[in-house]
Amino acid sequence: MDLIHHEALVIGGGLAGLRCALALLEAGRDVALLTKVHPLRSHSVAAQGGINAALGNSPDGTDDTPERHAEDTVKGADYLADQDAVMAMCTEAPAAVYELEHRGTVFSRFEDGRIAQRPFGGAGFPRTCYAADRTGHNLLHTLYEWAIARGLRVYEEFFVTALAVADGRVTGCVALDIARDVMGGFAAPAVVLATGGYGRLFTRSTNALINTGDGAALALGAGCPLEDMEFVQFHPTTLAGSNILISEAARGEGGILLNKAGERFMARYAEKAMELAPRDIVARAIQTEVNEGRGFEGGHVHLDLTALGASRINERLPGIRRLALDFAGVDPVAKPLPVQPGQHYSMGGVPTDADGATPVPGLYACGEAACVSVHGANRLGGNSLLDTLVFGRRTGARLGPGLPELPAPDEAAVADLLRRETERITALAVREKGTKVAPLRAELRRLMFDHFGVFRDGAKMAQGLELLAGVEARAGEVAVGTAGGPFNHTLIHALELEFLLAIAPAVARGALAREESRGAHARRDFPKRDDDRFLKHTFAFRRDKVELEYREVNLGRFPVRERSY
Amino acid sequence: MLFKVQRYDPETKTSRLDSFVIGTPEGMTVLDALFRIQEQLDPSLSFRYSCRGAVCGSCAMLINKVPRLACRTQVAALFGTPTASRLKPWRALEARADWRPRTEVLVEPLPNLPVLKDLVVDMTRFFDHWRVVEPALKPAQDPPDKEYPMTPAQVAELELYTNCILCAACFGACPVNDQQADYLGPAALAKLYRFFLDPREGENDPRLLLAHNPEGWWACQFHTNCRQVCPRGVPPNIAIGQARARLRRLGKKPLDSLDHD
Repeated sequence: MDLIHHEALVIGGGLAGLRCALALLEAGRDVALLTKVHPLRSHSVAAQGGINAALGNSPDGTDDTPERHAEDTVKGADYLADQDAVMAMCTEAPAAVYELEHRGTVFSRFEDGRIAQRPFGGAGFPRTCYAADRTGHNLLHTLYEWAIARGLRVYEEFFVTALAVADGRVTGCVALDIARDVMGGFAAPAVVLATGGYGRLFTRSTNALINTGDGAALALGAGCPLEDMEFVQFHPTTLAGSNILISEAARGEGGILLNKAGERFMARYAEKAMELAPRDIVARAIQTEVNEGRGFEGGHVHLDLTALGASRINERLPGIRRLALDFAGVDPVAKPLPVQPGQHYSMGGVPTDADGATPVPGLYACGEAACVSVHGANRLGGNSLLDTLVFGRRTGARLGPGLPELPAPDEAAVADLLRRETERITALAVREKGTKVAPLRAELRRLMFDHFGVFRDGAKMAQGLELLAGVEARAGEVAVGTAGGPFNHTLIHALELEFLLAIAPAVARGALAREESRGAHARRDFPKRDDDRFLKHTFAFRRDKVELEYREVNLGRFPVRERSY
Repeated sequence: MLFKVQRYDPETKTSRLDSFVIGTPEGMTVLDALFRIQEQLDPSLSFRYSCRGAVCGSCAMLINKVPRLACRTQVAALFGTPTASRLKPWRALEARADWRPRTEVLVEPLPNLPVLKDLVVDMTRFFDHWRVVEPALKPAQDPPDKEYPMTPAQVAELELYTNCILCAACFGACPVNDQQADYLGPAALAKLYRFFLDPREGENDPRLLLAHNPEGWWACQFHTNCRQVCPRGVPPNIAIGQARARLRRLGKKPLDSLDHD
């Protein structure tokens, strides 16, 4: 079997992957992008509310600066973010927004013609640039247009099953060509993971169905540790039932939260910021209302937008109105929306420096797949799109010029991996007897949500780990039960389940070992933040089993304080 | 509920209509139903999906003879809303199927594109046509230090077209695409018009000429199926009408698609 050669492989076609690939193209490199779905189907497309940048366009925030943006981000992160990386991101934010605007993204505008900005949680004033409530969609289409105009080579519907490693160096990958049902070997001196997060490890998630932690699992398989995997963001407002995201912009534009008694309960949790407290705080407030019997039947509260009126909703939140009508049968102009917390963002991921380099030579990561860390224990709304553009570009820009000096890929290692993976996956595709994928996956997602969800405690997590071991034990006998062939989506689901199972212990063990509450990690048995013991990053290594080590947080610019809103 | 799903096996190159009976709880979408069939009854069923929230454009297919996103289509809503009857017929609509429209759900692949397997179609032609219109901004001069100024009214007009998610539902619903394989189609033309409209664009009028041909603006017959099936409310027919008016003002004559060979 012939191998395919490129100078760099980018895995994932969302904002981070495309921006990284473009930076590599601009450096004159032969880069190829592999993605399991068409790039426009990537989860970036679903981002609604906006992208933060200290443009100072809003009359209420003319004196905004990257420094203030960084300070809000660090505080929002409950001080677990690396402050040098946060400063880099916030400093480059205006340029990132202007760049996409210059390439064609249509942003919403103020009357004076400048890019409009709206308030989001964790800032005190409007800093979030937006394109109605379709910001991710507009950015992704622009980047894809730009990438195709530049001639980017895209391997569409290629599912990467493993990274090739030789002498501790990543040297390529192996992928299933879904449409042709053949395995291919790709040799390259550098591989960039831009595969998004691991949201679908949890039963209630706003994420696309494809967000199965592929990059984190691939990295782990290549000997790379994972960072801060226990930090999982639960978005406060997802449509009850379908868990489709209702953007923070709904609250930014004036939406309020009400419990069964019609009480605006946020006053009891974040007196000043109210509905615009950071996501972890609002999510816990809603969950507490539900747990203590003040929610509605079915486990939700109300997000009331009716005071905004039809014209403001149609102008600023047209997509939200459509989603509410389509998926909940409720018109937010007339009635409040039923909302509940759902998994939304993966703060943890593949550890990188501020230029995308991981601890493993030849392996890079950016976007939600990576943990730089700029989001620490809790990401602020509007910072994830920014992360993808800034660190996507930085990763490509740093990697590009040095690529010719990297060691040539080890073809024998790739060929050997290709043989082994072909054998393994062919056998898996036709295995008739065993556990079905879907029920086992459902069990995994349920246990992760129930035992490692919005609220955690030691006993419950220990029980969750036992359940997880039970699921792992049965995963070895998964049956796909098809005759093979192209577009074997059940096989894809089986491979994704392997990925989810590979990373689940890192999330679970990291959470159990972290005996404190910080950001999105909220323990009933350790309700306080413990800076003496845990102002540090968790690194999960896969040896015989998952082992945890800890690394210092890069502090220095902003003093660590009590976090109150 | 009885689901009838069009299957295609690329190895034997044969099609068949499979029947599946599944429960349909309140709130179930057609995409949910397809997953239930795949997970419980037939693991070999293939269909594309990603966001399940009507923004990614993966799952356009022909459901009860109307091109729609499977994720956005509630099973319960399929009955009692006779949208199909408002569409101008094309071959896929008229193709007979053993199906009772009042009680059964018929799921077929998106028309006007080659089928690869079951409900998965080959989108190559659709994206080739998208490339023809050179969909990337070509500004007149070097960009300003900050943003190009743009009024909210200009944004509102552009948004009509930037909302397109390239799901190809319009392409599958278009009677002209059905008859004329090289017709660029509603989505590509709407995209072209979006760049023509853009105040940052430097080649507004020259762009219109990219589709001043029998495969472009002049092939449209204004059946407006495109607008009716668009899950994002994009009106390609309006873009096409306005582009034609602009071309006429530029002194261009209509080019009848029937004249070209």
